Amino acid sequence: VLHSTRSLHTAQQHWAPVPPLPEKGGEVRHGLIPEEFFQFLYPKTGVTGPYMLGTGLLLYLLSKEIYVINHETVAAATILSVIIYCIKKYGADVAAFADKLNEEKVATALTVKNEAIKYLETAIEEEKKEQWRVEGRSYLFDAKRNNVAMLLEANYRERLLRVYNEVKKRLDYQVALQTLKRQKEQDHMIQWVERNVVQSITPQQQKESIAKCILDLKALSKSAQAAV
Amino acid sequence: MNLSFFDQFASPHLLGIPLILISMLFPALLIPTPNNRWITNRLSTLQSWLFNFITKQLMIPLDKKGHKWALILTSLTIMLLTINLLGLLPYTFTPTTQLSMNMALAFPLWLATLLTGLRYQPSASLGHLLPEGTPAILIPVLILIETTSLLIRPLALGVRLTANLTAGHLLIQLISTAVTALLPIMPTISILTTIILLLLTILEIAVAMIQAYVFVLLLSLYLQENI
Repeated sequence: VLHSTRSLHTAQQHWAPVPPLPEKGGEVRHGLIPEEFFQFLYPKTGVTGPYMLGTGLLLYLLSKEIYVINHETVAAATILSVIIYCIKKYGADVAAFADKLNEEKVATALTVKNEAIKYLETAIEEEKKEQWRVEGRSYLFDAKRNNVAMLLEANYRERLLRVYNEVKKRLDYQVALQTLKRQKEQDHMIQWVERNVVQSITPQQQKESIAKCILDLKALSKSAQAAV
Repeated sequence: MNLSFFDQFASPHLLGIPLILISMLFPALLIPTPNNRWITNRLSTLQSWLFNFITKQLMIPLDKKGHKWALILTSLTIMLLTINLLGLLPYTFTPTTQLSMNMALAFPLWLATLLTGLRYQPSASLGHLLPEGTPAILIPVLILIETTSLLIRPLALGVRLTANLTAGHLLIQLISTAVTALLPIMPTISILTTIILLLLTILEIAVAMIQAYVFVLLLSLYLQENI
């Protein structure tokens, strides 16, 4: 019962923790009369005592017309029967609903707690993995070092190639220049020789060479047969 | 006690001291105060669930400004609900059968919604007096009709609650009297009448809850128009 589980004035006042609620409510008989009343009368009047008291009281009130039976009595009987019927039929369901509401509240809080625990556990696992990874650091750095060395090597070779190409370009240019100069000199000389030769051909020589050519041709035409 | 049919509607007095205040405030004693536990007992859990449910239902159609009305509307619902349901017990007095109390509840709350609308959005509030799409020739008539409908709202709210509860209680009394009177004469008819009384009681329980709900719902509707 509530009043015996509450300890008053035993400690300083504090808001939390609240004293726990009792597991079950007070025992009642017939939904109305607390069990303690029956226990109170039991030593003197036995088991039937309270019922005799109730019946006697009721009959006294009715017979002396202290309680008059009028239309309200019938209305009272009806409404009480409706109330008792509803309580008997839906009481357990309503109690289960209330319990479910409380359970959901607790379950939400528990979910939060469990999620936090799971998250922290995963974090611990991740941390352990990171610690294992740290052991392989040296291999990682060696690989990185090789990588960098390779990059530097490749860059150096590339630059070397560029230098070579540039030098070759300059040398090619000089070679081309000399070739061009030689060519130009040869052309010029050939032209000069041809010009002089053509100039030196006098008209008399021209006539003589043409007549000789004609004689040669006639001679050739005699020896050569036309291929039919 | 020789009861007449008027006794249940008479405002209770004890030695000349009016008890109406106690009878209106008594239902508040039946609602347990929420304590600072996280997991409460079943009654407090159900009560919290019910209040949250009611408040959510009332506040969903309203925007943020209307949420100022949450406390008064929820309190009103719970008060009317408990007063109506407690009035079904025998030998109880139901304060909501008194027109004075219902008008005292309806009139100021309705007036508050009206003045809120007129103060913050006067043209929109007055615009409610003319439904959309009316032909031009009907406008004057319709304005008059809508104004009448607006001004009769508090009266309707109060009288609806009073009439429903008074009629229900009176019917219960009359049929119970019939049952009591017929019992020695024609027991079979008496039993039939008892069945009618049973059905009527179930109806009255429903009416008690519905009327409380309708009262507050209509107020929230008037609020939606005007907020």
